[in-house]
Amino acid sequence: MAQTTIPQRNPTPARFQALLRWGLFAGGILVLLLLSQKFIHLDIFPESWNVGLRGVLNEFKRWVVVNRNSHWMFVFFFEPLSSVIDFTLRRVEDFLLWLPWPVVILAIFILAERIRDLRLALLMVACLLPMGMFGLWQESLQTLALMVTAVIFSLALGIPLGIWSARNDLVEKILHPILDAMQTMPAFVYLIPVLLFFGVARVPSIIATVIYALPPAIRLTSLGLRSVSDEMIEAADAFGSTEKQLLRKVQLPLALPTIMVGVNQTIMMALSIVVIAALIGAGGLGEVVLKALRRLRVGSALEAGLAIVFMAVLLDRISAAMAQIERHSVQLFRGYRLFSEKQRGNKLVGMLERGISRVYALGSALTDGVAKYLAKTFGTKARWLYRHSDWIVILLILIISTAIFLPLGIQNFPEALYFDISKPVDGVVQWMQVNLYNIGGSGIGTGPLRDFLIIYVFKPLRVFLTDQVPWSVIAFVFVYAAFAVSGWRLMLAVLTLIMSIGLIGMWPFTMDTLGQTLVAGVICVGLGIPLGIWSSKSDRVDQLVRPVLDFLQTIPIFVYLVPVIMLFGTGSVAGLIASVLYAAVPVVRLTNAGIRSVDVTLKESAQAFGSTWLQTLFKVEIPLALPAIMLGINQTIMMVLAMVIIAGLVGATGLGLEVYQGFANDNLGRSVEAGLAIVLCAIVIDRITQQFARKASQAANLN
Amino acid sequence: MSTVQLRNIWKIFGPNPEYVYNTMDPAASRSDILSQTGHVVAVRDVSLDVAKSEIFVVMGLSGSGKSTLVRCLSRLIEPTVGQVLINGADVTAMSIDDLRQLRRHTVSMVFQRFGLFPHRRVVDNVGYGLEVRGMGLSERRLKAYEMLQLVGLDGWEDRYPHELSGGMQQRVGLARALAVDPEIMLCDEPFSALDPLIRRDMQDELLNLQKELNKTIIFITHDFHEAIKLGDRIAIMKDGEIVQVGTAQQIVAHPVDEYVREFTQDVPRTKVLTAETIMLPHDGAHKLAGEAVLHNTTIEALIPRISSTDEFFPVVNAGDEIIGVLDRRTVLLALAES
Repeated sequence: MAQTTIPQRNPTPARFQALLRWGLFAGGILVLLLLSQKFIHLDIFPESWNVGLRGVLNEFKRWVVVNRNSHWMFVFFFEPLSSVIDFTLRRVEDFLLWLPWPVVILAIFILAERIRDLRLALLMVACLLPMGMFGLWQESLQTLALMVTAVIFSLALGIPLGIWSARNDLVEKILHPILDAMQTMPAFVYLIPVLLFFGVARVPSIIATVIYALPPAIRLTSLGLRSVSDEMIEAADAFGSTEKQLLRKVQLPLALPTIMVGVNQTIMMALSIVVIAALIGAGGLGEVVLKALRRLRVGSALEAGLAIVFMAVLLDRISAAMAQIERHSVQLFRGYRLFSEKQRGNKLVGMLERGISRVYALGSALTDGVAKYLAKTFGTKARWLYRHSDWIVILLILIISTAIFLPLGIQNFPEALYFDISKPVDGVVQWMQVNLYNIGGSGIGTGPLRDFLIIYVFKPLRVFLTDQVPWSVIAFVFVYAAFAVSGWRLMLAVLTLIMSIGLIGMWPFTMDTLGQTLVAGVICVGLGIPLGIWSSKSDRVDQLVRPVLDFLQTIPIFVYLVPVIMLFGTGSVAGLIASVLYAAVPVVRLTNAGIRSVDVTLKESAQAFGSTWLQTLFKVEIPLALPAIMLGINQTIMMVLAMVIIAGLVGATGLGLEVYQGFANDNLGRSVEAGLAIVLCAIVIDRITQQFARKASQAANLN
Repeated sequence: MSTVQLRNIWKIFGPNPEYVYNTMDPAASRSDILSQTGHVVAVRDVSLDVAKSEIFVVMGLSGSGKSTLVRCLSRLIEPTVGQVLINGADVTAMSIDDLRQLRRHTVSMVFQRFGLFPHRRVVDNVGYGLEVRGMGLSERRLKAYEMLQLVGLDGWEDRYPHELSGGMQQRVGLARALAVDPEIMLCDEPFSALDPLIRRDMQDELLNLQKELNKTIIFITHDFHEAIKLGDRIAIMKDGEIVQVGTAQQIVAHPVDEYVREFTQDVPRTKVLTAETIMLPHDGAHKLAGEAVLHNTTIEALIPRISSTDEFFPVVNAGDEIIGVLDRRTVLLALAES
């Protein structure tokens, strides 16, 4: 009788390997736990291993202070550079503050109208007026001057570098990792050396801003030039263009829209560190926010914060409009139509539009007149002069109105127009402080919540990570994770980075920060993923969530830090809540986008086999969206880490507080060590989560 | 003397073309070389002579190397091996500066997808070649207006290219090439991207312009009908090589191989073939009866005259000398040959 044998199911090699891996992991931990009982060096990171970076740095700082006036490096490089920047900043600022406020508004109004249309122009005015009404006109213009100066220097450096790297692959290859580092590194890290070399004033804040804002200018210039089609270059070549002609007449004009996108991003990046720059004396709106924060004045902080938001909207819209160059032979009618067709019948609307059209007619009559006059006086030689007669007219209007306003003594925004919102806001916050801290003495409220988090979450976690678990075990977990998600190379890199944290003596502080990051990360992910899934399933939720996320990302963190402090007091809980508000955004966004981008046919085929809603979600949609979700988690954790310093500012313990106290106590070494530890920590977590995301997308066969 | 001479031009694409050229088996096919060395032989040993004021068409399917060949002429693509002579000057040996001067003054180009600069108005596109030469604004504008008038686009000078139709855009391309008053014009499938009707208009336009301007035109196309209509002579390319060169009649009447025959198949032979190409030798064997036929009369025009008689007609050249004979049978056989 023939006997068919069913092959015995051996444990497959893959299964065996997995078993081995977990065994190795558990065994490693166990061995280290046992060993650390015996060897104290494995339990507590030995102080004797500290490489003493702090002493060296403080020594160096002393050397700089002593030699600042004599050493050639300062006399011939840093000082001249510093004075050029200072000179530019001062001139820009003086000029803006010298201009009467109505002229500033008029200039921006006309500029926006010329670039886009009347609607944008009106939006610009709507952004500018509150700055004055909050009594922040001068501070706003100071910030504007800072932006303008930083952007001038960023572009003056970035565009030539971008051109160079577009034309030279080697330069591109060298620049790429440097730009990456510049963009991922927390601004604080280079703020400190910059501070050291250029001294405390507004110059270092410009330099820090330039460093931060430079990458998009370089990147997008290079990208724009590289993406000019071969066809265009061939056509230019075929007519015998020289390299220079090719660049100037063909490549640069064609790359201009992309370059302008880079300018827009540069401006936005610069603006985003305006508050941080205030920490090292940049002045302007950032300083107002900081001062209000120190005095816990929510209202003023909110006013200054809103002014920053308005500034952001203003600069963003105007530079974005410049990026959208439209080439039309006939001037398109942009005109005075402000209202929709429906409202046209309204008498008031009709009157308003007629009025506006009169102003336009006057403007064009004036322009024509000037053009004719110029043509008559200068003939064909100054053709470009009368072709741009509109700009000449605008310049004349601005000069004349300046000449009218100045003798009248109108420069600063008049106090009569002040509109104070800080008092009512303060009132609301105070009410919340009184009434929400402990609602009706019931043990429910912000106060008890804070106490609960501190007593049952933060403190035990800190004790667990710093005192109970030996450092060697934590290091092992990271190193092992690096090996599991990638391989030997990442493992060695992570080992080096982790050891470095210990070697600069930052181990306990890092563990404290790590614990808080973990809590914030878990909350972000725990809230963010369900919210992301929900908004991917419901357009209405999506429409509700989207503006909230936009708001959270554009408004300076400091602004919502203040009410958080009012409600929760200073400390780690305030830092946690601010971090969650700031960092939950990407995980929500990317979960939503990931699930929405799952192929419809795949969802249909899942349903065709009779999957329930939940089955489709968990068996098809989430696995396919996993890479996007993982990317969101990665970004969220990075943003939590970026918040560490700011959390330190409001009293959250750990690395952030170290950096900040180093600043406050004139202890450079301490700040740098803590800053360095943040960077090291960020790199470790970033690389591991990134590799994990890559692995997840490989597993989903999405590549 | 020929205006343009190509001598054994090779173009091999790949990381090490010289090495491949020196070591390969000269008889190896293109696909063999590709599979053995990873190099693509785009142009293979092409030698051509283009006469002054002739429209010379290079015809071939896509991938036959015709676009590469035409770019080797002004070294927009550097030929791997071979020599290009323009008016006797060795282009392949020219310095960058001399080459640039050649492109600015002697050789200009019209592109398949027009190659107009989207950021420049029509007039500034047309004036581009003059601008890079260093001509002043008003002078080059004047010249550009003149060229736009020539191609029938007056009134459009201040538009941007994207505001024009495809046919109009290519007129701008043509005007731009003509503006530098070149001796030689390279046209890389200039009408391929246009609708059939507009294409026909543009072909007629080019022929009209040529009557006036007498440029040497090297015209690339994949359309055999276009080749026949425009070309004084036609070169047919296959896999980087020239397989046949000749007038339209020569090619239609005597295709060298199956590949060429394929193209000629749906050509209306009655419109292409002339008395001269189909005639029998005048050796006195035939009794001539009919009225003399001019040598360049197409079959289409012949048929009404010969269809009702078996007589032999003499074929005469422009000097009224008898150069051959034909009868109804000759014509029918020529038509049947395809």
